[in-house]
This record gives sequence, C-alpha cells and structure tokens, in this order.
Amino acid sequence: MIESQRHSYHLVDPSPWPISGSLGALATTVGGVMYMHPFQGGARLLSLGLIFILYTMFVWWRDVLRESTLEGHHTKVVQLGPRYGSILFIVSEVMFFFAFFWASSHSSLAPAVEIGGIWPPKGIEVLDPWEIPFLNTPILPSSGAAVTWAHHAILAGKEKRAVYALVATVLLALVFTGFQGMEYYQAPFTISDSIYGSTFFLATGFHGFHVIIGTLFLIICGIRQYLGHLTKEHHVGFEAAAWYWHFVDVVWLFLFVSIYWWGGI
Amino acid sequence: MWRRIVSTHLKSISAVRSCAAPSCRHAVVESTHFSLSTRASSIPAHSSIFSRQIGSSADTAVKKRVEDVMPIATGHEKEELEAELEGRKLDDIDFPEGPFGTKEAPAVVKSYYDMRIVGCPGGEGEDEHDVVWFWLEKGKHFECPVCTQYFKLEVVGPGGPPDGHGDDHH
Repeated sequence: MIESQRHSYHLVDPSPWPISGSLGALATTVGGVMYMHPFQGGARLLSLGLIFILYTMFVWWRDVLRESTLEGHHTKVVQLGPRYGSILFIVSEVMFFFAFFWASSHSSLAPAVEIGGIWPPKGIEVLDPWEIPFLNTPILPSSGAAVTWAHHAILAGKEKRAVYALVATVLLALVFTGFQGMEYYQAPFTISDSIYGSTFFLATGFHGFHVIIGTLFLIICGIRQYLGHLTKEHHVGFEAAAWYWHFVDVVWLFLFVSIYWWGGI
Repeated sequence: MWRRIVSTHLKSISAVRSCAAPSCRHAVVESTHFSLSTRASSIPAHSSIFSRQIGSSADTAVKKRVEDVMPIATGHEKEELEAELEGRKLDDIDFPEGPFGTKEAPAVVKSYYDMRIVGCPGGEGEDEHDVVWFWLEKGKHFECPVCTQYFKLEVVGPGGPPDGHGDDHH
C-alpha cells in the first residue's frame, strides 16, 4: 500500500466536469431537436451545447493529465482503468461502424426496384475507386506505420525521434483528410441522392470524423511527448491514441473494399 | 474481491482482505518493514530521498534508482516504483503467509492501525472451511471458532483506530 494512503488506487477529488458534460449533452440534444423542428433558438442552443461538451472534454482530460503525470496518482493498477477503458471504447466504435456496413450491405446486396434493381443505383455516377481512394489507401496505413515508429522511439527513450514520428503521423493524416475533403467537394452525388448517397456519406463521413478525432488525439500526444510527459515505462495515453489510430486505419480498409471498390462495380 | 494464499507449509493461515489487489506471492522481509514503519511516521517526500541513499550505500551491487527508470515519476507512482526497485511490494502486509496459528505460536497479522478485519479459511486441503471474518484487535488474541487457529495482531504503523476518529491531524 502507498505510505500516505494505504492503497494503490486513485480516489478522485470532487470535480464539476461530469455535471458540466451532462449539461452540455442536454443542451446539444434539446438544441438539436429544436433546430430540426420549427423552434426558435435551436441552432444557438445546439452550438452552445457542442461548445460546452468540447470545453468539458478539454478540462476533464487536462485534469487527468495533471493527476497522472504531474501528481503521480496513476500507479500500475490505476493504469489498467484507462487501458481497458480505451479498448472497450474502441470495441464499441467497431459496433458503431458495423451498423453502417450492415446498412450498406442491406441495400446493395439486394437492390430495390425503386433504384433500378441494380447497384450502384441507376443514375448514380460513382467515384472511381482507383483514383483518390486508391491514393488514400496507402496514406493512412503509412500513418499507422509512423505511429508505430513513434511508439518504438518512446520505448527506446529516443524522445526527439518520437516527436518527429508523431509529426509525420499527423502530416499523413492531414493529407488523407485533405484528399477526402476534396473528393467530397467534387463528388457528382450528394447524401440525398438515393440510398447510395446516404450509406456512402454516412459511412465515409463518420470515418472522416473519427480520423479528425484521432488526428487531434495524436497532436496532443505529440505535444505531450515534446513536453516530456511520456516515459518508456508509462505512456497509456499514447497507446490509446495509437490503438484508436489503427482502428481508424482498419475501418478505412473495409470502407475501401466494400463501399468504394465493391460498391462501385 | 479478495485473494487467499496457501503456503507450502503443512497447515497454513491466510488473512483475507475485501479489496482487489494485484499478485500475492511474496515473502515478508523484516528489515524493509522497519524502514516502512519509520518512514510512515515522517514526511514521505523528504525522507524517501534519505532512506534511499542510505539503502544504496549499504548495497554492494549497483542499485537502480527511481531517477534512472523514470525521472519524472512523482507521488504514489514514485513510491510504487521505489518499492519495486527495492524488491518489496507496498501491499505486503495484506497477504501474510505462515504455518497454522497455535496458542504457543500464533499466526501474526500485521496492521497499520490498532485493529483490522481478518478472515480465517482454515488449514490446508481438507481442513479448509468457509471463511470466518472477525476484527483482530491489538493486545487481544483471537481463536477461530471452527478450526481454533490462533491469531495475533502486530502493529507496524502509527496505530490508533482505523476510522481515524480521535485523530487530530485530519
């Protein structure tokens, strides 16, 4: 047991962030519904709620960094919490994407008569999978390789190299996002163009959202590495970011094969 | 969750704690416990540096210090790392092992305070019984009503009541 507290666990100090996050979620949901129905002030409440949620995330995780790196509360057994938590969160995200892949398969494997009985539906001009999507396909896994490089650098104690590797990871991620954004802008179909548009943009759109979140996570890891927070023994936050990044990478590969490639044949 | 340890001796005792904890196999080393109890009575942050230097000067082998392993370690993480480098576990006193306690040679359970909850699971193999829980108090021996194993408390900390009532510091 730890001298000053007789156990290895972390009993967290009272914090306002759970309630502030809840209030932000309330504002977001109510504002969202108001926005989508004819109520005044919906947009304002929705934006306020989203900003509040983002703020809560920022201050909550800042407190976690303070308690762990700066105050040393994260003993080995405490680290298991965020570790398993990250893994389980990623599993829940897998379930989330599973739903979108199911939706896409449901509509594409037995195309309805209303869309011409064919897939892609009649009139839809699909994106050529062998252009931008094929270019993006090596970019994201290379980014994954870079994050593995960063991990090895951290484990070897090569702090500067780890920063460079994380910079490379983020740059590749931004290139990916840039290309996807360009494609979205120039796509000949929109989200409202039949079930094809819906499934395409929902699946790739949520993937893009996750890429942006992952990129942000990696940027923060890069900053922390630069500031010297991450040690070779203890870098749970970085590992969580790397796992999340590999997950995003795998989802892209599934997207490319099932939606871009198979879905366009 | 609690863990039980069965020693390799003929008949064994186990003290069980209603708190989840990592692995349980270790031997209790007397000297480190003395350092543990003296350190507990002083301010941890400062005394740890001194006791570590004293420890390393007494060692003949090259000893790793916390700074070598994780320079930015602080707080409880640092204490845990220090203990690991010194070869002891911080929750040592939660998992006592030893032969079956008798009146002449009671089973000794260490405690930071003047009393603690202990569980007796009986002897080895066939002699095991459902865990009997009891408060073991300083100065009072306890005999298990099922298997008559004899227990004694040894205070290795500041003593006093475990709930901290009457403690003027906090």
